[in-house]
Amino acid sequence: MAGKIKMMIESIIEQRAKDNAMLQGVIRTKLMLKGIDPKKYTHQSDDDPAIISKLELLVKDLK
Amino acid sequence: MNIVSAFSSKKSVELVVQDLQEQFRSVDAKLVIYYASSLHAPEAISQKMQEAFPTAAVFGCSTAGEIASGKMLKNSVTAMAFNGEAISEVEVAVVENVQGEGGVEQAFGAFEKRFGVPMLDLNPRRYVGIVLVDGLSGAEEKLIDKIGDLTDVTFIGGSAGDDLKFTATHVYANGKSYSNAAVLALLKPATEFSFIKTQSFNALCKNLVVTKACEASRQVLEFNNRPAVAAYAEALGVPVEEAAGKFMHNPVGLVIDGEPYVRSPQQVKGDSMLFYCGVVEGMELSVLESTDIIDDTRKALAEAKAKLGSISGLINFNCILRTLELEQKQATEAYGELFADFPTIGFSTYGEQYIGHINQTATMLVFK
Repeated sequence: MAGKIKMMIESIIEQRAKDNAMLQGVIRTKLMLKGIDPKKYTHQSDDDPAIISKLELLVKDLK
Repeated sequence: MNIVSAFSSKKSVELVVQDLQEQFRSVDAKLVIYYASSLHAPEAISQKMQEAFPTAAVFGCSTAGEIASGKMLKNSVTAMAFNGEAISEVEVAVVENVQGEGGVEQAFGAFEKRFGVPMLDLNPRRYVGIVLVDGLSGAEEKLIDKIGDLTDVTFIGGSAGDDLKFTATHVYANGKSYSNAAVLALLKPATEFSFIKTQSFNALCKNLVVTKACEASRQVLEFNNRPAVAAYAEALGVPVEEAAGKFMHNPVGLVIDGEPYVRSPQQVKGDSMLFYCGVVEGMELSVLESTDIIDDTRKALAEAKAKLGSISGLINFNCILRTLELEQKQATEAYGELFADFPTIGFSTYGEQYIGHINQTATMLVFK
């Protein structure tokens, strides 16, 4: 499977920042400091379970 | 004045607290923040400071040097008092056992109860958080990461110090002293505020990708699939045995939108490198080269002043490695003078927090 990471990142940024450009930047920075560079992932990127697990934790905190 | 700063270099806790109380006599303090040299007994300073300002929220931490308006200090206590015109509301919470689970959630629960709004819904332009954490806990990444996951409010702060003894650091709140803990404060300033994150480094065009790391021990085993220290030395064009001598002036950084988030190497361990903050596998780091702290800080302060129009108070979390560099260059006086025109407090930290946990940086909270 591929592309799940890209989709999760987009979903997190949209939910957290909505249209706020400043918040979008902050969330990208937070992701990069967790070792997840949003620019590195495309819809063709492999579904790395370690990265997905980090993102799932973040999604959980959004609820 | 709604924000007043003071310092005392008196020798006993009693005299220090009396001195600060006297200097804050004209302020109806709603909040008092203080940073105290490890010279002062932790329990005593926390208890006496709370007793001195019984109606105010009072918190602080131990330091590796203090900063006051116009001065860098040693063996002192620096403090800032805010009245109700400066801070509308404030709530302070302590996260004990900072490595454990659930502490941030518990603290945030207290904030939500006080402010009546879920932390995720708080407007980051209206609220700001301060974090002070045991500087020897090694738990800063986990703490600031969790804070960032649970709120969009910016938490800024520093890791407590102990004057380079590296034996015990303390955070203070509720008239008590805590180790292995963090103090979180949520403020609703009555005025505009802004942040400064300044580090004096340029990125060299030499990248090191972390290919093997132990995140828990802040250890990088391999950069670019090679032993970490060999790859670092090669990037700088020096023999491996000279690598450690380059750490202060050539740390590495995660560069985001042109802005380095500095990760400072601490020591060589075999073929690997230990860092002062977490370095994650997959991170692409740039080798950095030091620039001038005084010039860079002056520019950062001028930008903040231009943005806000004026500065009524500033809290500076300045890395101890920057302080050591300033001391080496006999530039502490010049650095202190940069903060002479407005109420300032700060301390030399064992790590700085702003979005993440970083090194060799000054993070500052600036009030209009």
